[in-house]
Amino acid sequence: MDTPTDHLQRARELLAAHPVVDGHNDLPWALREHVRYDLDRMDIGADQKGRLHTDIPRLRSGGVGAQFWSVYVRSDMAGDTAVSATLEQIDIVDQLLERYPADLARALSAEDMEIARDEGRIASLMGAEGGHSINNSLATLRALYALGVRYMTLTHNDNIAWADSATDEPRVGGLSAFGHEVVREMNRIGMLVDLSHVAETTMRHALATSVAPVIFSHSSSRAVCDHPRNIPDDVLALLPANGGVAMATFVPKFILPAAVEWTHAADENMRAHGLHHLDTTAEAMKIHEAFEAANPRPVPTAATVADHLDHMREVAGIDHIGIGGDFDGTAFTPAGLEDVAGYPNLIAELLRRGWSDADLAKLTWQNAVRALRAAEDVAADLQTTRGPSNVTIGELDTV
Amino acid sequence: MADPQNASPVTTVDLGDLDDLDDDLDALAAAATEPPPDPELAAAATEPPPDPEPAAPAIPPVEPLARAKELLRSHPLIDGYNGLAPVLRSMHWYDLEAGESLLETDVPRLRRGGIGAQFWSLQETADRADAPSLGATLELIDLVRATVAVCPEGLRLALSADDVVDTRNCGRISVLLGPMAGPALGDSLAALRAMYTLGVRSVSLAGSRWTRNSGLTPFGHEMVREMNRLGVLVDLSGCSPDTMRRTFGVTRAPVLLSHQVEPLPDDVLRGLRTNNGVCMVMCTPGTLAETADRLDRIREIAGPGSVALSGAHDTGAAHAAGLQDVSCMPRMIAELLERGWPESDITNLTWSNVARVLRGTEFAARAARPRRAPSRVTIGALDL
Repeated sequence: MDTPTDHLQRARELLAAHPVVDGHNDLPWALREHVRYDLDRMDIGADQKGRLHTDIPRLRSGGVGAQFWSVYVRSDMAGDTAVSATLEQIDIVDQLLERYPADLARALSAEDMEIARDEGRIASLMGAEGGHSINNSLATLRALYALGVRYMTLTHNDNIAWADSATDEPRVGGLSAFGHEVVREMNRIGMLVDLSHVAETTMRHALATSVAPVIFSHSSSRAVCDHPRNIPDDVLALLPANGGVAMATFVPKFILPAAVEWTHAADENMRAHGLHHLDTTAEAMKIHEAFEAANPRPVPTAATVADHLDHMREVAGIDHIGIGGDFDGTAFTPAGLEDVAGYPNLIAELLRRGWSDADLAKLTWQNAVRALRAAEDVAADLQTTRGPSNVTIGELDTV
Repeated sequence: MADPQNASPVTTVDLGDLDDLDDDLDALAAAATEPPPDPELAAAATEPPPDPEPAAPAIPPVEPLARAKELLRSHPLIDGYNGLAPVLRSMHWYDLEAGESLLETDVPRLRRGGIGAQFWSLQETADRADAPSLGATLELIDLVRATVAVCPEGLRLALSADDVVDTRNCGRISVLLGPMAGPALGDSLAALRAMYTLGVRSVSLAGSRWTRNSGLTPFGHEMVREMNRLGVLVDLSGCSPDTMRRTFGVTRAPVLLSHQVEPLPDDVLRGLRTNNGVCMVMCTPGTLAETADRLDRIREIAGPGSVALSGAHDTGAAHAAGLQDVSCMPRMIAELLERGWPESDITNLTWSNVARVLRGTEFAARAARPRRAPSRVTIGALDL
């Protein structure tokens, strides 16, 4: 009988051949917040445990073969400010690539991902997180593509003019007419449509319009844990026809029902003290710490994530699931998945549950690479018949 | 108006020897400034042969316009400033390869004008009141790239001096992206780097917060150094003379002025010569002769190595008769030949000076990159 150590050993062997493609990592924003992009003050070539979830040694030991670096900017940014901040985020990824060429390889295509893996380097891709990064401009969307961005999450936590977010009040009821045009243009240029963070209505609209596979770069199952950031079963069931990939995330307050409840209670406690639930002043933190001392924060484990993957597999199929940890984009992480070195623990858990080597290769590597390649093929086809769209939001959406 | 034909030392050439370009120009000029021409003369002017080669003279006459065209064949004009991009944005449909009469620029006229490369401005035309924005700049870059992509027989996007040479050798016309408006960078060095990646090769400093107070702030110094490191041309048009003087002290690469309106002080012109930069004189305002006067002055003070031309077409600026579109540039060259500019000065003006500035900027970038990491300084940290 296999011991836990055997599972972990086999997980590492599997990852050596089929490393993890992780859908979402917020290292760029963490570098902006911690050290204003000063890479001399935060060398990710060395161990940054305790400061970051991510560094190169831990990506290596975690078996990561490709990373979509999020070029996220805050969703309260708008206009040129959001675009400019996005360019800064892209710029720091470029600088990381220049600084660590032995470990990180720029990847702009599925083929680049495979080449990087074969060279033993970590394929580095970029994903924009929220349509506010293109400031209602399809030309700006194309500029992001030209700068290397290969997916765009349609919204972040707040609605934008042309798409509803999962965590905001419904406004346009999914995608507006311009929102559909953004999806079509993303199809045409070969940028993956990412449906994490968006409202259910937006998910369904985008899946109806997109002729290329979509992804969920960091979302789990709503049936397992009822949180708006997760994916409802009927949407997961649309993925086989679409060819897309739902990449399960590790964020405790999205994946563990007890953590969802705990977060609600903690927020309620803050409001009961007359404070905003996101208040981080010293006084507020003191109240929050008292709450946490009396009510220990529930901690998910690798098994919690595996529960999501088991269910997502059942509903969407083994060809339509992946992994998107959201490291450095979340303050808290599951036990065993504390940082980017943790992926082997998840794979070991899935081995224990009877997932085959072939299943795991699809989960970690093949599905995500296939989705990007399919998006490239769709784009190549569309470009033979369609030119760039220059429609404006003013022309399509009557406000 | 100044007409090189009238002033030509060759008096034996009759109207029938003018080629079709000159017919167009004369007809337009006449329509603009003079009463309708004698119908018989006009009829004669439209008669063949179109080629100016005389039948069989013992010594070929030196006809300035023909000579200008010949010089432009080997040393085509690198035109420093064209406003087509923002104009195209407001047009629903256009075909630059077939020709577009509503514009002052299209491929057939670029060819007739002997233009080998052209900078397409990413700045708003003066009539747009809104401040330069990053979004608008990205849209113009996108538009230029799309426009060039649908004119493969005529135009190519050039990203380097080598590209400009290759494009000329392929019989195409280079389009260079720039200048963009410095203020549109939003005081972000990362935005500058993104613009470089997207193909922008020239930034106009004027109007940026870091060039105000008639100088160059510490952050402005950093911007210029980063432009040097990347290989982005520093365009000083419209800056105060003090900003120009300060920039000469900072930049490691030659600068240019692609659309300078105010006359430059003599010491700035001498500084430009020391810097190995180039002032590209606009063909507006004023007559062809007045433009030639400006060229004479720059050549005299800054030297023949620091003078070049900007057609400034499709910018909304009025052009004198005889300079009204990009096909007119040979006339400008003919005027300079008549003023006694040696041919080596002419080829410097049309091609070599700007080519040198492009190469000098690339050389400075190659020298700087191993010595300097991308700058991440913010304006707040330096300028307070």
